[in-house]
Amino acid sequence: MEGVSYQRFPKIKIREVKDDFMKFELRETDASIANALRRIMIAEVPTIAIDLVEIEVNSSVLNDEFISHRLGLVPLTSERAMSMRFSRDCDACDGDGQCEYCSVEFYLRVKCLSDQTLDVTSKDLLSSDHTVVPVDYSDTSSSFDNTPNKGIIIVKLRRGQELRLRAIARKGIGKDHAKWSPAATVTFMYEPEIYINEDMMESLTLEEKTELVESSPTKVFGIDPENKQETGKCMIVGNPSTSPGIPLCGSRWPNTIWVYASMVIVVDPEAYTYDDEVLKKAEAMGKPGVVEIHAKEDSFIFTVETTGAVKASQLVLNAIEVLKQKLDAVRLSDDTVEADDQFGELGAHMRGG
Amino acid sequence: MGYDSTMSNTTEDSNQGIDKQHLASPIKNLVDKYQLVPEFLKVRGLVKQHLDSFNYFVRTEIKKIVRANQEIRSTLDPNIYLRYRDVHIGEPSMVFDAVTEKLCPQKCRLSDRTYAAPIYVTIDYTTGSHGQTSVSTKKNVIIGRMPIMLRSSCCVLYGKDEDELARLGECPLDPGGYFVIKGTEKVILIQEQLSKNRIIIDTDKKGSVQASVTSSTEKTKSKTIIKMEKEKVYLELNMFKTKVPIMVVMKAMGMESDQEVVQMIGRDPRFSALLLPSIEECADLKLYTQHQALEFLESDKMLKMPSYSTGPVEKGARALSILRDIFLANVPVHQHNFRKKCIYVAVMMRRMMEAILNKDAMDDKDYVGNKRLELSGQLLSLLFEDLFKTMNDEARRTIDTLLARPSRSSRLDISQYIVKDSITMGLERTLSTGNWDVKRFRMHRKGMTQVVARLSYIGSLGHMTKISPQFEKSRKVSGPRALQPSQFGMLCPCDTPEGEACGLVKNLALMTHVTTDEDERPIMSLCYCLGVEDLEQLSPEELHMPTSYLITLNGLILGKHKSPQRFANAMRRLRRAGKIGEFVSIFVNEKQRCVYIASDGGRVCRPLVIADKGVSRIKEHHMRELRDGVRDFDSFLKDGLIEYLDVNEENNTLIALYEKEATPETTHIEIEPFTILGVCAGLIPYPHHNQSPRNTYQCAMGKQAMGNIAYNQLNRMDGLLYLLVYPQRPLLTTRTIELVGYDKLGAGQNATVAVMSYSGYDIEDAIVMNKSSLDRGFGRCIVMKKYSAICQKYENGTSDRIIKPQRQGLEADKMQILDDDGMAAPGETIRNHDIYINKESPTVTRTPVTSPMGLPDSAYKSSRQTYKGPEGETAVVDRVALYSDRNNNLSIKFMIRHTRRPEIGDKFSSRHGQKGVCGTIVQQEDFPFSERGICPDLIMNPHGFPSRMTVGKMIELLGSKAGVSCGRFHYGSAFGEPSGHADTVDAISETLVTHGFSYNGKDFIYSGITGMPLQAYIFMGPIYYQKLKHMVLDKMHARGSGPRVMMTRQPTEGRSRNGGLRVGEMERDCLIAYGASMLIYERLMISSDPFEVQVCRKCGLLGYYNYKLKTGICSMCKNGENISTMKLPYACKLLFQELQSMNIVPRLKLAEA
Repeated sequence: MEGVSYQRFPKIKIREVKDDFMKFELRETDASIANALRRIMIAEVPTIAIDLVEIEVNSSVLNDEFISHRLGLVPLTSERAMSMRFSRDCDACDGDGQCEYCSVEFYLRVKCLSDQTLDVTSKDLLSSDHTVVPVDYSDTSSSFDNTPNKGIIIVKLRRGQELRLRAIARKGIGKDHAKWSPAATVTFMYEPEIYINEDMMESLTLEEKTELVESSPTKVFGIDPENKQETGKCMIVGNPSTSPGIPLCGSRWPNTIWVYASMVIVVDPEAYTYDDEVLKKAEAMGKPGVVEIHAKEDSFIFTVETTGAVKASQLVLNAIEVLKQKLDAVRLSDDTVEADDQFGELGAHMRGG
Repeated sequence: MGYDSTMSNTTEDSNQGIDKQHLASPIKNLVDKYQLVPEFLKVRGLVKQHLDSFNYFVRTEIKKIVRANQEIRSTLDPNIYLRYRDVHIGEPSMVFDAVTEKLCPQKCRLSDRTYAAPIYVTIDYTTGSHGQTSVSTKKNVIIGRMPIMLRSSCCVLYGKDEDELARLGECPLDPGGYFVIKGTEKVILIQEQLSKNRIIIDTDKKGSVQASVTSSTEKTKSKTIIKMEKEKVYLELNMFKTKVPIMVVMKAMGMESDQEVVQMIGRDPRFSALLLPSIEECADLKLYTQHQALEFLESDKMLKMPSYSTGPVEKGARALSILRDIFLANVPVHQHNFRKKCIYVAVMMRRMMEAILNKDAMDDKDYVGNKRLELSGQLLSLLFEDLFKTMNDEARRTIDTLLARPSRSSRLDISQYIVKDSITMGLERTLSTGNWDVKRFRMHRKGMTQVVARLSYIGSLGHMTKISPQFEKSRKVSGPRALQPSQFGMLCPCDTPEGEACGLVKNLALMTHVTTDEDERPIMSLCYCLGVEDLEQLSPEELHMPTSYLITLNGLILGKHKSPQRFANAMRRLRRAGKIGEFVSIFVNEKQRCVYIASDGGRVCRPLVIADKGVSRIKEHHMRELRDGVRDFDSFLKDGLIEYLDVNEENNTLIALYEKEATPETTHIEIEPFTILGVCAGLIPYPHHNQSPRNTYQCAMGKQAMGNIAYNQLNRMDGLLYLLVYPQRPLLTTRTIELVGYDKLGAGQNATVAVMSYSGYDIEDAIVMNKSSLDRGFGRCIVMKKYSAICQKYENGTSDRIIKPQRQGLEADKMQILDDDGMAAPGETIRNHDIYINKESPTVTRTPVTSPMGLPDSAYKSSRQTYKGPEGETAVVDRVALYSDRNNNLSIKFMIRHTRRPEIGDKFSSRHGQKGVCGTIVQQEDFPFSERGICPDLIMNPHGFPSRMTVGKMIELLGSKAGVSCGRFHYGSAFGEPSGHADTVDAISETLVTHGFSYNGKDFIYSGITGMPLQAYIFMGPIYYQKLKHMVLDKMHARGSGPRVMMTRQPTEGRSRNGGLRVGEMERDCLIAYGASMLIYERLMISSDPFEVQVCRKCGLLGYYNYKLKTGICSMCKNGENISTMKLPYACKLLFQELQSMNIVPRLKLAEA
């Protein structure tokens, strides 16, 4: 064991980055690293979320716990989160978690005075720290409708109802509560490798080809775009001597039906959902092996969507940072084998594993 | 596809989906009659049967009762009388401090009052006495208060729209149909009974054939049985001591000629042969004339002695009056003309003999056509009649005693004596206890009313349609429990409880209507106009001519008709034209050669589309008019497009399910097949794909599901309230769901379910839940519990008081949540042992005290109330309501709220009778995920499927998955595929494929733990899950040491008393078999009730320990010489002493171990 190195150098290729969305490739590593990254993004990248609510006045229809729960789930911009302290390890305050190093204060004071129903939204939350505010979705490019973006609705008030509260946001991780999870969706897939056996494919009729192409619920395959015009018409009846092309159905109807040659090509391998439908179809057509699909064991395509608490790119970086910290902890624990012997399983817990 | 649902955001995809279905439908496009169902429910409402019945009572029946008992006349002075002229029911109100205050239901619920309206009468009465009387009239005299059914015609909610209802604090979706009695909502359950006034042929216990009639008229109720015993025919009537030979009865009714009797029964020699022994018996008794027969009946051995003697009467008159008034009371006798009654008896005998000769002619008691449903109106009218008569009798008695008194000071005013509380109290008591004790009608029924189940909206709706059985539940019979074919469309085939009441308690189907009584006189005269030959004109011979049918109206034989089919058709045409009531049923019974016309109340019936030679009368333009709002359900009825059929008339029809299936013989077409199910079963998507018991289980569980119960749920003060924090509308809906409003008051959430095995904590139907889903609010619920306190006033003028809490001292921390007024403040967190009201009661409450209001502090003792809840949980005081109750005491209600997130052991269920507890809660990152990033909320073990065969659940998953991807709610109404009210699997699969899913609903999934793909494709998609009210927090229980029962010194029993867990007999047996003797010793003695006793070795009896002498002493031997100390269960010592007390001496013989 000693000295054997399994060191690899995974590579990341970023395909697409938006504020709350990112797609990248992770290559030259295996599922353990990919999954570790995914798990950390979901559960261990810290963010800031409202954790304590002191309600002064609540005459709304929703009860205090209800509103508190809703407030907790409001994503707050958490760029600061990595550098902030967990309130449980904060030295500045005696564990009450209300100091500036580990918490952010919010105020919400709304009263409905008009006859119209008043929507209390995340925009009504007033932060004591301008870096930690409720996530604003209005500037995203996807806002196709021209309705004013009003933020996340918390409660609706009718005339005379009032909501007044103080909320404390703290740093936390998704493992403790989903409200601290910066990830809306983190998922990866193995990159598929698709081989089309050209020779066998040639032996298929166009109908069969289209059937094969359409058997996949997602658009993985297509008919060669070069011959698209012709293939669109599908079948042309005419004279074999005047019409160019390769007679595919010639054996059955010689001299009557001529079809243009068309190639089945892979349009989007990543659209493949490993549903095996194409393979099953091929088998049903009596042509097993016309298409072969393998998952590349060492490359992954990640899709990351965030709640807006941190930018998607930052989320990945933070995740790698957290992963590094965790690995450091493992490395450190290597030195303390004696401690392991002494405490047994407890040792792992003592190191926070 | 004319249905325009509430969904506004139908995307292009959904249109595409519809188009596909549209194209797939047959070319002969059928008229979509579905729209009739919502229209029906708009007109009739969900609980219209209750409302109709109550309205009928209030409008008609009560007037009839008062008219029948309109006079109170003094027996001493017949000039003194009181006559009721008119009766009506006013607006719900109550008198409070001599001020009449209008009531609304919500006010009554909150302040524990009865929602009742005054019963006004107009009276003529005499004042003065002894010849100096004068008649005066009084209007609007209140004789009592009638509890008012919500949403009935007397209710303030009647005809109100949504806004007005909201202003009155009422939920617009609440169906009404119940009463508010002393603040609790009470439903009078629908009672199922055998038809009254109909001949029923069946066998008695001994197996002899009998014909019985339960007669019920306004005056009397009796049961007449004619039975064949030892080849002779007898009459059984409880006025007679023994059974009476039937020929004697016939002779007593003036049918002296035997030949005539034989003719009336029919000239078939088989009938004559059966009757011969009876004729001979009569001849043996030497009874030939009416007079002889009556004398025979009058004799002591026949007639029961009447409880009251009315003085000497003419010989035979009493027997005659019994025959006239009690025997077959439903057949009227005019001026001693018994002919009709004789014919009735003859028909009874003929039917009985037919049944003897041919067992098929026996009536089926379980046949729905032989049943009547008794509704609140009828039950209330019985009760009111009894109370009204009692009140009148009492008034008469009071007047008589007053008149008998020699001198009176004031003028006698009879009107003073009728205003009593007896009616009010009687009605209120009966409705709140549910015990109908009407002595006049020999009626003693228990449990007729129930508190409306307010656990879920569906539960309370289902409660209104519940039918309680006529038999007691303990009977081990299978017949009445079985599903009757005649229940089709009338009673829900799924909704019945499990266990002892299985099959006996039923529920109405969605479109069922229960009839109310209708005047039979116009129908009778109409029958005669249509060529019914009157009985009076018929010779006995003509009665059973093979060419004619008997015509029967409500069990009464009117006469006969030569061409029954033509007569029936004419009657039906008149009904369709609206000339007679729409609920009159005309039924031609070919086997019995009878035409039965029924207009009585309590029959179940349902609407059907009329078809002429298989062509539906409803055409597309009718439905268009309906959609445009030009037409309503009643106009369909009026135009003869639709009619109501009861169970009997259904036998004369051929009903096609759809028009395309109709043949020229078809007479009717169903409106929609899903209406055969009731409200509860209507929630199940694709119930026709499930194994039937699963649907039954769901019907029971839907009532336990948490959700929203009403729009006014937070303004109500229910004793226990379970609410879901984020209830959702099911992605896979049914038409019934939309019709009953389940989409507005849902009780569940759409959870993404993966059907796979995970973690091993999912065996035996347990489910694995995603922790992040729970964090985000899945399955989160609010439990509210009411605690109340009354500030009682006592008879000596003293009263309880609520005092300021102590802010310092020992008790201060228990009083932290109290405001200065001594009551818990809303919004405060309340913990176990916290005081929520700091109340004190005076020590002396009976004997008079000098200054009741200014008692010193020492005269009060604390009677504060403490909250008992689970330790470590944080419940919150939600609301505190103060009001004065009926007795004008200050009452305080506290609602304590507790928000709970699901935990291990909480019970969940899908809508397919698949319940399971939460087995474990797993972090989201450990949960499997698809490459789209979909992560299930819940994992269900696939072993739940094979044995349960709930295919409907799988289709629900597919349909919901297609629904979320295309943005259109999918439908799964029962049997809805042909009519487009249920999406087909084919269409769903296509939608799935267009959105990039596999057609079979399976997804390629990665393990969240390893990141590797799973070996199998996983069936994954949303399923509507219900959280059931059974939660671990309310049930978990463990105890170390704790309270013990005083008498046996053993640990107490039950969670509420912090009791121990019993090692029962079977557990003990296991331990014996295993040989764990020390464990048995420990469980049964050490940890239970060890007790040290002093046993005398000489006499073997128990002694005692003398602490002064420090020795044990035998009280029998009077010394302490042979005393041994040993341990015994205290219960054993108790047994010995109890045995001794009954002169049995148990002696212990000790030996060295």
